[in-house]
Amino acid sequence: MLPYLLLAPALFVVGAFFLVPLAFSVGGAFEGPQGPTLANLANAASLYRMDLLFTLLIVVASTALTGLGAVAIGGYLTLGRSKLALRLLGAMYRWPLFIPFIVAAQAMRGFIGQNGLMNNTLVWIGLMPQEWAQSFLDWRGIVITFVWKQLPFATLLVAGAMAALDRSGIEAAQNLGANRLRILIGIVIPQVARNIMVALVLSFVTMMSVLSVPMMISGQSPTMLTVAMAWRINSFGDYGTANALGLVSCVMTGLVAWVWLRQAAAERAR
Amino acid sequence: MDRRTFLAATAALAATPALAQQRVTLNVLTAGDQNMVDYITDYLGPMFQRQNPGVTVRSLGTGPGDAGSQRIWERLEAQRRANTNSVDVDVAVVHQTMAGRMVAEGLLARYRDQAATGQLATSDVTRNALGQNVDGFVLPMFNSQIALAYNPARVANPPRSFAELENWVKQNPRRFGYNGIRGGMSGVGFVFGWAYAFGPDQKRLIEGPFDAEAVSALTPAFQRLREFNRNVVITPGNAGTLDAMNRGEIDMGPVWMDMFYSWQAEGRLNPAYRLVLPESGMPGQPMYYVIPARAANSDVARRFIELATSPPVQAEGIVRRFNWLPGIDAQHVRQHLDQQTWDRLFRDVGPDQLARGARPMPQADFMRALQEAYERVVLN
Amino acid sequence: MSRSVMWWLPRGLLLGLFAFFIFGPLVNLVLWSVAESWFWPNRLPSQYGFRFWERVFRPEGQAMESLWLSIWIASLTTLLCLAVSVPAAWALAKANLRWRAAILMLFLLPQAFPNLPVYINIARIFFTFDLNGTVIGVVLVHAAHGLVYSIWIATAAFAAVDDDLELAARNIGASALTAFRTVTLPLAAPGIAASAVFVFLESLDEFTASYFVGAPEVRTLPLLLFSAAAGGNMQVAAITALILLVPSVLFMLIVERFLRAEVLAKVGK
Repeated sequence: MLPYLLLAPALFVVGAFFLVPLAFSVGGAFEGPQGPTLANLANAASLYRMDLLFTLLIVVASTALTGLGAVAIGGYLTLGRSKLALRLLGAMYRWPLFIPFIVAAQAMRGFIGQNGLMNNTLVWIGLMPQEWAQSFLDWRGIVITFVWKQLPFATLLVAGAMAALDRSGIEAAQNLGANRLRILIGIVIPQVARNIMVALVLSFVTMMSVLSVPMMISGQSPTMLTVAMAWRINSFGDYGTANALGLVSCVMTGLVAWVWLRQAAAERAR
Repeated sequence: MDRRTFLAATAALAATPALAQQRVTLNVLTAGDQNMVDYITDYLGPMFQRQNPGVTVRSLGTGPGDAGSQRIWERLEAQRRANTNSVDVDVAVVHQTMAGRMVAEGLLARYRDQAATGQLATSDVTRNALGQNVDGFVLPMFNSQIALAYNPARVANPPRSFAELENWVKQNPRRFGYNGIRGGMSGVGFVFGWAYAFGPDQKRLIEGPFDAEAVSALTPAFQRLREFNRNVVITPGNAGTLDAMNRGEIDMGPVWMDMFYSWQAEGRLNPAYRLVLPESGMPGQPMYYVIPARAANSDVARRFIELATSPPVQAEGIVRRFNWLPGIDAQHVRQHLDQQTWDRLFRDVGPDQLARGARPMPQADFMRALQEAYERVVLN
Repeated sequence: MSRSVMWWLPRGLLLGLFAFFIFGPLVNLVLWSVAESWFWPNRLPSQYGFRFWERVFRPEGQAMESLWLSIWIASLTTLLCLAVSVPAAWALAKANLRWRAAILMLFLLPQAFPNLPVYINIARIFFTFDLNGTVIGVVLVHAAHGLVYSIWIATAAFAAVDDDLELAARNIGASALTAFRTVTLPLAAPGIAASAVFVFLESLDEFTASYFVGAPEVRTLPLLLFSAAAGGNMQVAAITALILLVPSVLFMLIVERFLRAEVLAKVGK
């Protein structure tokens, strides 16, 4: 009984200030002027199915890149031998950790444009002719910003888990002459797979609900569902369709969460 | 206290209007970009406070675009539902759509006839907001107009019509940019301008009455826009178009004229860039000063709007400092401006061109239907 | 010699590229904040100055006021989150709960669901309780959002504390509460502090909820940044962003002190 009593206040905060409005929102998706309806969902599907697909692709791509980057950096931090390189990398990767998405988007906007700071610098150093300069302010820009912002968080979790590993296995493999890539793939990653999953799930759901980045980086269409939602509400005051879109993205994140939960349960059963 | 200061103090007290006796906080809610909020906070508010000791102007911005107006509406509506005696908004600055709706729903007070400056604004928009009669309920804060900005170094002969623009874009792929319809009114306005130019009945779209067939009659025009879009860059937001011009990523795009001038003044845009307004017209819109029904300080609110719409303030604040077109009729403002400022305002788009090319936004139902039609035809 | 060059060159290049990727966007912000004139085809600002800094910090400007308000809200949010999540995290870490995974998931939900429609509905509910546009309202919503950090990280921190230590304390006669207060809590404190940092920053940087629940009365710094960015005022947006960056970078530099690897390894488990 006591544990549940201890949990109660926290559950109340989430329940009252999240679950109840969430229920309102889900209800709103089926609410029409004349009682319950599926019209909102139909409207959402007919106007925004491309956006749905696009959102999924963007978020999956960003999550995958974040995962790769986190494993690469975490792996180097665990297995790297050069003290100097380790210190430099360790000091650098965390910088964007707490930078708000809105600041990240603002900073990126001027950086990755066609004549933005990035291309300008590359041209100026002579690494690239001016004609190659192209704008990344489209879906690629969204992915870049997401990865830039989420990579430190994922890396922090993954590298932390790797650092906590028992090093005897790694050392044994090193003594047997295995190269570091094989140690990373064969020994380190399997042991921290769950931490990588946690980092990726958290990143995935965070990116699903970001409004400022797609809004500020790319005006192109299709775009992310959050932009479509804000657009329905701000321009039409149409809460029905917006709630329907919300429901759709909730189902999407719900699926991811379910996969994760199932895996957790499987692990527990083992 | 010696006698002379005492006398001076009494005289000062007697001279100030009655409202100075009580302390009043005037709540001014502004929907729109930050510069509009800055205008109230930095310029108009302090001036009103100096002229009316005892009054404090509390300026709040509710956010850019129609969403900002929506928030003001929500607030008024909530207080009406709660049946409060007075509402805590004294003056609101709102967009046309919402002004029309607020008038229709009886949320606003009729004040123009009592306002000393009420007769200085006679243009169409003081009576009609997107098809809704708002006569007597509003005074325009300023007018703003969408035009095409271009880089003269790359665009030798700027297009005078949408058909010319279409051609130019074909020859110069991805050098024209606009912000679609989800990122702010300059893009939406461009789409409306397109519908005005290539649709069968421009007058119908602007004046109504609404019917769905008039919307489907626009499908060929939207299909044409879909083709056009293949060769353009879609930018994020009103500022996004200017931003892309700032970095030289596009050579032409639709922008709000006032934003364009401000960007040049603040070093974010090459001063050589120019504006052009195509013949078949592009929309503009005013922002309205309104007073809610049952506003707590409606008399002070009216005085505030009188100051805001007085010719000297319109000249100095609206035109000279913020590059907007005046809300009241231009001839009243002209005499308070030096030639240089006047010329700067009409540098690229002269008064005649403006008279020919400035259009209102479409009637409210059309406005919504056109945006949905764009989503259906152009985006899918 | 040549071997060490061969050895360092690829690493140096990779590290350099990575630094460029990480710091480039930030340099862009810094440049904009002091640019009085910067437009194509100039690669760098053609005129530098602090005109816009003066504008942001002018007496009528609300930057400082917004900054203090943001910090105040973030502090209250952190306090609230810690108050409810320390007991909850202990329960999740130490008691053998049947629904543990599901409960952990529950706290993740506010992060998982695209929150825009939720905030709109919160705003509607708050209207009836007069919580819209109040600091309390904003704090409550931020807390619901930040709980995932405080609960998950604090749970991991408690889980990393060896049960035997607490048992040993109980064996020498300490009550459950005393054992918790004198043994478990101090050992978990660094992790809890780290979770507080996460909550604090989450609240400090939160935009969407503040926008729907707090604005226009409660003007936090991210709201100020948003209106500057949406209005295209690059310089003011850059300066506001830099102000927001200060606490973020400070905490980033110290977070590793609190977050030990053993704790990190247990997050979400």
